[in-house]
Amino acid sequence: MFNTTGFHKAALMASKPKPQLLHTIAETAVQSSVKRARILSTQSSMKDAFAKYAEYLNNLNDKRERVVKASRDITMNSKKVIFQVHRISKQNKEEVLEKAEKDLGHVATWHISRLVKELQGTDFWKLRRAYSPGVQEYVEAATLCKFCKTGTLLSLDEINAGLLPLSDPSLEPLQISNLDYLLGLADLTGELMRLAIGRISDGELEYAEKICRFVRDIYRELTLLVPHMDDTSDMKMKMDTMLQSLMKIENACFSVHVRGSEYMPLLGSNDPGSFLSGVPDIEL
Amino acid sequence: MNSALRSAYFIFSHSLNPNPNPKAFPLIFCLHSLPFISVSRLPLRVSRQEQPSRSVRTSTFCSSSTMAGTDANSLASSSSVEKQFEHFRTQLQDSGSLRDRIRSVAMEIESSTRLIQASLLLVHQSRLTPEVLEKPKSQVGLLKSFYNQLAEILRESPGLYYRYHGDWRSETQTAVSLLAFIHWLETGELLLHPEAEEKLGLNESDFNLDVEDYLIGICFMSNELPRYVVNQVTVGDYDCPRKVLKFFTDLHAAFRMLNLRNDFLRKKFDGMKYDLRRVEEVYYDVKIRGLLTMGD
Repeated sequence: MFNTTGFHKAALMASKPKPQLLHTIAETAVQSSVKRARILSTQSSMKDAFAKYAEYLNNLNDKRERVVKASRDITMNSKKVIFQVHRISKQNKEEVLEKAEKDLGHVATWHISRLVKELQGTDFWKLRRAYSPGVQEYVEAATLCKFCKTGTLLSLDEINAGLLPLSDPSLEPLQISNLDYLLGLADLTGELMRLAIGRISDGELEYAEKICRFVRDIYRELTLLVPHMDDTSDMKMKMDTMLQSLMKIENACFSVHVRGSEYMPLLGSNDPGSFLSGVPDIEL
Repeated sequence: MNSALRSAYFIFSHSLNPNPNPKAFPLIFCLHSLPFISVSRLPLRVSRQEQPSRSVRTSTFCSSSTMAGTDANSLASSSSVEKQFEHFRTQLQDSGSLRDRIRSVAMEIESSTRLIQASLLLVHQSRLTPEVLEKPKSQVGLLKSFYNQLAEILRESPGLYYRYHGDWRSETQTAVSLLAFIHWLETGELLLHPEAEEKLGLNESDFNLDVEDYLIGICFMSNELPRYVVNQVTVGDYDCPRKVLKFFTDLHAAFRMLNLRNDFLRKKFDGMKYDLRRVEEVYYDVKIRGLLTMGD
């Protein structure tokens, strides 16, 4: 009896909290399953969303990579054109420029055309940093060819008109922005400096002076534009190098002026050796 | 005697020189006679020995160098060059003034995000209640109105969205981070890209929220979480670290799905793990001391 009551009591005591416990367990189980379901759903929606972002970023990076590659090819081949132009001399002018122009045409048809379909819509400005170096180099090569041929500056409109036939009419044509044109032009003066020095050593002083005037014109015009450009620091740096190049041309012209009037007549003289031997410290 | 000869020589040679700039002469003369003594010996010799033949040769040299083209031609081209640069100047000034307008709106956006940020700082000072979020939520409307202004300005020049993107980029990233934080405090879920666009009024076809900006904004938001957790525990919400940790772990796992380039987003993502670790530490501290069961 005692035993049973004791047992009963114990059972009662044990059973008393039991339903409560069960209840709380059930409650927490329900609660946590609800919570888990919600967390799972947010987790999967987050995953879905990020899968979309991942796809977007992959596509964008692939595209950027293609643009960078095209830009590198444009740079490389434009550089070749520039080197070709530097092979110019008094005798082979037409021949050299003809080849340079042909190569320049190839750069446009083979490489710039690759940019057209990548840079539709807002991508033109979005990916500018990826293609800008190549385009600048192309501008440099094209303006250098034009200058050697006619002595004039190839305008942006002329370049862009040349790019129109690259793509089929359904696409937006690629048109070089004025910023890239101006940055390319700033680089052009470095090449013109090399050209001027080359011409001077070839005896074409007049041509060098013409280059000098041309570079001065460009420098003066660009000075006015620098504060309005988008990325001023880049352009400012280019202006400094440009001034350096210009001064190199001017100094070369000056040296020839000062000394050229002396040795030029002697170039055709019958006996240059005797003249040189009399002046051991001459600077040639 | 010597100097007289020299000047005579110079006058002579310059009369044949096609240089159109007569001002250059005195300068050249001075420089010539002073520093280049070794060279200046030359003309004297030459002029004594070869005076008669030189005039012929100099003139043939001049006439042979006609590569420079005619003066008229170069004048015409220089005026067309000027015209082109004049055109560039107006173009660049126009885009500059457009940029100034965008910048002024961006500054408004910046100051309104600052307001939201300031009122949102109160969540660190007390337990989270819906009232705390009232104020920042009410300020979001103002932010949206500025984005509408921006959309209107940019609509004038379609396709140029990314040309001026840099001018309001960081402001947008901050705005996204604040909106995402508010959203998370309210619902415990991540503010998704379309929702963020909706809240900023950037959900038009030609004016949308850049995905990278959104992701960077989310990273900014996650920087806020360790501080929030620490302060919530301090004011007695011991369950907070668990919730934040769960969310943050999922977020970090989601970010790991992205193939990132070596750019700013990558840098922010790389920093995220330190924030995550901090939250883990707080959770560990709370759990190891049995505070979780004690709270509430």
